Amino acid sequence: MSRITVEDLSIRFRIYHDRSPSLKDYVAGLFRPSRPASVSDFWAVNHVSFRVEAGERVGIVGHNGAGKSTLLKALCRIYEPTSGGIQVHGRIAPLLEIGAGFHPEFSGRENIYLNGAILGYGKGQLREIEQEIIAFSELEEFIDTPVKYYSTGMYLRLAFALATAVQPEILILDEMFAGGDANFVRKATTRMHKVIEGANILVVVSHDLALLERICTRVIWMDHGKVKSDGPAEEVLREYREETAPPVALAV
Amino acid sequence: MTSTSLSIGLITRHVRESHQYRDVLWQLVRQFLTLRYRRTLLGYVWTLVNPLLMMMVTAVVFATLFKLELASYTVFLFAGMIPWNFFSMSVTQSCSSFIQNEGLIKKIYLPKLIFPMSLLLGMLVDSMLSMAVLSLLILPFGGKLSAALLFIPLAYVLLFMFAFGMALLVSVATVFFRDLQYVINVLMQAWFFLTPIMYRHDALTGKVAWLVSLNPMTSFIELFRAPLLHGQLPSLQVVAVAAGVAAASLTFGFWILLAQEKNIVFRL
Repeated sequence: MSRITVEDLSIRFRIYHDRSPSLKDYVAGLFRPSRPASVSDFWAVNHVSFRVEAGERVGIVGHNGAGKSTLLKALCRIYEPTSGGIQVHGRIAPLLEIGAGFHPEFSGRENIYLNGAILGYGKGQLREIEQEIIAFSELEEFIDTPVKYYSTGMYLRLAFALATAVQPEILILDEMFAGGDANFVRKATTRMHKVIEGANILVVVSHDLALLERICTRVIWMDHGKVKSDGPAEEVLREYREETAPPVALAV
Repeated sequence: MTSTSLSIGLITRHVRESHQYRDVLWQLVRQFLTLRYRRTLLGYVWTLVNPLLMMMVTAVVFATLFKLELASYTVFLFAGMIPWNFFSMSVTQSCSSFIQNEGLIKKIYLPKLIFPMSLLLGMLVDSMLSMAVLSLLILPFGGKLSAALLFIPLAYVLLFMFAFGMALLVSVATVFFRDLQYVINVLMQAWFFLTPIMYRHDALTGKVAWLVSLNPMTSFIELFRAPLLHGQLPSLQVVAVAAGVAAASLTFGFWILLAQEKNIVFRL
């Protein structure tokens, strides 16, 4: 069964106030140990613990800089814990940024194999899903053209089709991605919902509270790197809405 | 005790992951090999022709300068330059391997090892093809085609281990000290002149001669030169030194990577 266990997780970022220390500074620093360090620590995730069991649909809310994306990246092993630990059971699909790892000089087809390998798909598996990806992204004519000649829409379509081609056990989503023409957005949304439904565990970060209300069973509210509230989606979202000032419509 | 079991755990994780991510590794190697000459007329041929032409020019210049016989000097020079070029390119190019893949490293998890490794494997293919061409050139140029040439693959294994250890060291170090990117070229140039590539080992006398003897690359060059130039196996002592240096370099490189792997993403 899939499960995510996060235990007392902390992630620290070092902020260098002037610039990255060069070799010269480092050598100079060796002889002047008393020189005040021009770094400060920023705990993007600060002693966070939670556990996600199979079947749960978890939304993460919070203001910008609350540590939501850092937490997601830690779940996907991009950031290693400074302290504490994360255990993930199950095949994880990180849909954090679409098209990460596409090479502009490679053709669409070559990128299916390159990016597919990066996403953890096997070669045989890629051969099976290649046609379906091409058909879904509607790129039959251009699949052997280098992706640097693609329009943004074509690029996003291919990346989306590839990223969602295999049903993952655990789906980690940062915001919602979709692109291209209206027709494709409809198709992408349908497919996204299918993948979300099929996933054993979903963890999603979004500012779209209505969306979270619709798809999540549980919501974690992050604030300044800590868990402020964690519970059933409706309750936490209500708390969150009450505390955050009602959005002021911008008059244009 | 705990640190030993911890590092054993880390190493087994690396072995398991390198198996799991081998498809990515091959894709990156392919990317390295095929991308450079896309849309050029001669394509991959340039990889072979370019260094051979460069070495040819050097051979003509120095054979004239030192008043040497061109044919034998060419074989002598090529036999030293091909392994050196592999080593030097491995170190200078892997220097920025993490920095250039920042986009990937920050967006998706991949074992850090595969970035310098894919570069080195790509360059190894280039180098071995150059070596194959050289082996064909040897005959008309007066080299010896002998059974000792079968030693060349083993020489490549040792050279690869040495270069890979150094590549891991500089690739990790450059993330923390970016200045290294610019310093490394000068260092490698100095190292080149201290290695008996353009000159014979015993030709250099005087104040820096001891440096050449201490230089680990001297042994590695000899691993290639003995079979190519003299049709002999390198002496056991040379092989032992090279193997020792290779193992030490690889151990040290892995140790640096294991110690700093999780910090790399924070410093890109």
